[in-house]
Amino acid sequence: MQDFEDFVALRSQALLRTAYLLCGGDKGAAEDILQDVLMSMYGKWRRIRTSPEAYARTALANAAANRWRRRSRKPEAPLELGAVPASRGHEQQVVDADSVVRALAQLPRKMRAVLVLRFFDDLSEAETARTLGCGVGTVKSQTSRGLARMRELMGEQVLTWN
Amino acid sequence: MELKEAMEAATAELDVRPGFVGDVMAGARRRHTRKLLSITAAVALIAGVMTGVVLTRSPSPEPFTAADARLTAATGGDLSGKTDLIAQSLAAWKQKTQVGGGVTEVSTDAHVFWMGNTPSGPAALVAQSVRVAHAKDPQTLVGLVHGNVVVGQEIVLKEGREEGIYRFGADESTYVVLSLGRQVFWSVNPVRGPDLRYSRVWWQAVLSDGVAVVGAKLEDKAVFVRADAAPADGDVTRVGERITPREETGRQKAMVPHPGLGWTDVMWASSRQEPAKPGQSQDKLVSEDVWRRGYVDYGTEWPLWEVRAWLPDGRFAVVTEANGELVGALYQPDGTFDRALTGSLAAKGTPVPVRLVLPDGQGTLLADRNTLLGPEEREHAWLAPPGTTQVAVMRNGDTTTVPL
Repeated sequence: MQDFEDFVALRSQALLRTAYLLCGGDKGAAEDILQDVLMSMYGKWRRIRTSPEAYARTALANAAANRWRRRSRKPEAPLELGAVPASRGHEQQVVDADSVVRALAQLPRKMRAVLVLRFFDDLSEAETARTLGCGVGTVKSQTSRGLARMRELMGEQVLTWN
Repeated sequence: MELKEAMEAATAELDVRPGFVGDVMAGARRRHTRKLLSITAAVALIAGVMTGVVLTRSPSPEPFTAADARLTAATGGDLSGKTDLIAQSLAAWKQKTQVGGGVTEVSTDAHVFWMGNTPSGPAALVAQSVRVAHAKDPQTLVGLVHGNVVVGQEIVLKEGREEGIYRFGADESTYVVLSLGRQVFWSVNPVRGPDLRYSRVWWQAVLSDGVAVVGAKLEDKAVFVRADAAPADGDVTRVGERITPREETGRQKAMVPHPGLGWTDVMWASSRQEPAKPGQSQDKLVSEDVWRRGYVDYGTEWPLWEVRAWLPDGRFAVVTEANGELVGALYQPDGTFDRALTGSLAAKGTPVPVRLVLPDGQGTLLADRNTLLGPEEREHAWLAPPGTTQVAVMRNGDTTTVPL
């Protein structure tokens, strides 16, 4: 299982960053679900070793979604989110990195996952659909709506995408 | 700012806590062991109910025995008749084997199932029943005794994998390998051909009573596999099950100084752009692809870092390290492998230790982790334009100019 350990050592940082965004900026939760996902991969390694990263992304997206489902049932632990910053002057054309996370956290979980996988993990629409277990059409519509929503949430801050 | 850049900026400082990898590995093994044992226990329980037998754990100190034929097998090996050596080995074994390290109870059935000569002197393979945490059934502790020293021990769980290889001797050059019903192949001294690919000649180990004894110097980079057929030459995907002495894995390995840079990250020398890798190989590390193609020796661990760049002509370049040397590769945008590239030694501690001149005037890949490089002050890595003769390196706020 040396290759599994290598995978964990090499990819944990990148996967943590994906998990962090999927969890709407909750680092503790991101680390928890990543550790859980990686541990669950150990017993399945022979089966998934050809595409461990794809498996990890899917599992992370599911784990983040489940976490949010649990939170919605037990809302006693509110997200530590600040308010979306007020509009800024045109001279400030740099996006506050934290505000991106705050905005992401306000998106529905699937919409957020689509944006994270498409724009942060560089997955294609088809790969995103495969990862989330939905159709390409869903990915397209969620992307479009998600980007529009991000523009609303980010106020006057400049935010573009390819 | 683009959404992608904003997300990257928001996560740029994010890294796993120290010890995270170790925690994952320890937790994963615990969870896997519990799963295997609960399955075994469930099967046993069902069988017991079906036959009307109530399963109860033998109360201590009643004897218990694991279901392992080696515990009662006749001693094999060319020294199987040497009762004094066997007794001496058992004494050393019993002195070492105590409760702890996952073992909660030790049986009294320690048994030498192989006693043989090796280039480093007599050695004994011993099996013993033990109880371990979270397991109802006894498991088998297997290990090797050399002289009066227990070289290694491993708990072999039911249906679990057994490494079954031990390295010992004054110069750590003797290997004792259990075949476990398969064949054992080994290889030393990988050869790099003019095409820059590594190849290995595989030898079938001679088995005696299911055990192979092989002598190989550490510097010969010996690699062992357990397989049903001879490994395919040059195809590392069809070599077999690699088996590694504990000295070369896990915690023990962490005590050995890394021969190269020892980084553990993916760094970009150019601006990231979609896709992050050439072609459709989104799920694979590029360095793994280079390893599979034979440009990194099979016996080398997978590299743990990559510097990537999309080049001005549209190709994709990657550089990593293997055995302390830089190894690079070029890909076409569609993922077609273009060529391998070699670099100098990746010497830790030297300024800008990664320097790989790219062909066709595509510049030079430079990397120095935890620095800002070049006029753009790129983090960790920079694709320097052709003709660049020096690079500004900022580390901890101090900038120095390093000639290339």
